[in-house]
Amino acid sequence: MNIRILKPGLLSTLQDMGRRYFLSQGVPLSGSMDTLSARVANKAVGNDDDAAVIEFTYADAQFKAETDLLIAYAGDGAKLIAGEQKLPAERPLFIPAGSIIELINNSAGSHTYLSIAGGWDVPEILGSKSTYITAAFGGLEGRPFRAGDVLNSADPLTELSAKILESLGGAQISYPEWSIPRQLLLPSERKNIRVMRGPEFTWFESTSIVDFFSTPYTLSRQSNRMGYHLEGAVIRRTKTDELLSTAVTPGTIQVAGGGSMVLLMADCQTTGGYPRIAQVAAVDLPLCGQLKPGDSINFKGISRQDAEKLYLEGEQHLHKLSIAIKNRYL
Amino acid sequence: MQASSQADHQLKIYSLSEQGVTIEFGQAISEDLLQLITNFHQLVNQNPFPGFYTAVPAYTTLSVFFDPVKVIQSRELPGEDCFEKVSGYILRLKATLKNTLASQGNTITIPVCYGGKFGPDIDEVASIHNLAVDEVIRLHSSAEYKVYMIGFVPGFAYMGGLNDLLATPRKATPRSAVPAGAVGIAGKQTGVYPLKTPGGWQIIGQTPVKMFDATRPQPSLLKAGDRVVFKSIDLPEFNLLAAK
Repeated sequence: MNIRILKPGLLSTLQDMGRRYFLSQGVPLSGSMDTLSARVANKAVGNDDDAAVIEFTYADAQFKAETDLLIAYAGDGAKLIAGEQKLPAERPLFIPAGSIIELINNSAGSHTYLSIAGGWDVPEILGSKSTYITAAFGGLEGRPFRAGDVLNSADPLTELSAKILESLGGAQISYPEWSIPRQLLLPSERKNIRVMRGPEFTWFESTSIVDFFSTPYTLSRQSNRMGYHLEGAVIRRTKTDELLSTAVTPGTIQVAGGGSMVLLMADCQTTGGYPRIAQVAAVDLPLCGQLKPGDSINFKGISRQDAEKLYLEGEQHLHKLSIAIKNRYL
Repeated sequence: MQASSQADHQLKIYSLSEQGVTIEFGQAISEDLLQLITNFHQLVNQNPFPGFYTAVPAYTTLSVFFDPVKVIQSRELPGEDCFEKVSGYILRLKATLKNTLASQGNTITIPVCYGGKFGPDIDEVASIHNLAVDEVIRLHSSAEYKVYMIGFVPGFAYMGGLNDLLATPRKATPRSAVPAGAVGIAGKQTGVYPLKTPGGWQIIGQTPVKMFDATRPQPSLLKAGDRVVFKSIDLPEFNLLAAK
């Protein structure tokens, strides 16, 4: 199966669940900004969660099915259409060769993930297919897509993917009744981001801590896959010691000089020297992955224990969804 | 290293995220602490716990990253939650750390063409310190540096050991692009830019050696615990090495 990119969109790259084993050499984790949507898109076509997906940023991208396709998409950056026909998210889609698929506006978020049965076929670099543009490796030649790029699916299909394809195949676009209800895996209040206390939480003025938890923060235009610069009440320090650089990770909120905050995201540095006021709960990080400049968020406290419990419950839920899909076809 | 100095260190363990735990071995940069962290890093790599992904050394810390699902399901790790399970494992493993020099690290020589078009700031550095340019080169290339950690960008080594005579503040205005291989000074640090990035360090030379190459088994030329020596080379030698 393969597609040809007709319009690449603002920033389209290949991503998987990230590059986990080279952090000590300064290689960022990378991977999908909204891992939940990426995993849902993979599950819907019978892939493993870690298969490479296309991460589209906003809409205005277009591609052509050069062969019959089994694809799925999830996320809040765009909706997919084929001509006049709307294509539903979060379920497998059979697309016959020759179809032209367009991403159209969905103002809810920023990123949309497109999976294909078998996963997108690019070489693994340092154990991952994720694109890391800064060092120009991973994904498709270490770069965002351009018009004319052709992307192939990898072989072979999982048994599940083959069964899903068999159940849908034909001459027309088709999809099943079922879908993976991603919304049920997300909190209802999507602009409240739950955070744990960071290691340097006690370095800040108590009035700043009150501001942190009670006033909104807005993503500035200086926001990208490395991190989001947050505009809002200034965070003042009581302890002015220099922090010796130490490991940071996606979801870490650093307080830079001048008291402004940066929320680190997928392509963030592996180490940092700014004090860390908070760490976003892993279950809420996919919500952060859908934010865009101008969006405002509020931080709500959560204990380490509760954050871990929610994470493990979420993983359990995702595991059950995979089994439910398998039970339909195998 | 003295046998007693390791036993004296008190560990502080904190949660970094649901998937990461940081062990703090001390409060200040020292070669003793570097050796201890390097040894412990090696020990963790040799004795991974269920769900362990990787460990990241820094000046005073080692952070371990893991899959919480595998950790929580592991019967061999006692504890109520992942943090307890992983920190318990770390403390038990620490008790087995031998008071010996396990890892000496490698000594790596990095050829540098100083000054000229490769070292646009070397005259400024020399004049700030009232030194001749040759003296700046001699001081920079006669010291042995220790790699404390890798961070900032892939393959960027935080090194200690710069001669105090060369300590120079960063440039008032950072450059929008510093080439890969640029050798710089910032405060009491010296380092090599592995990739073309923006940067505010005083650039005194450039190496033709690739500090980072994703196609190598160890993509970063340097790792924490290594020693580095800079060797002054001329332009023809630079071109020869760069062509390789």
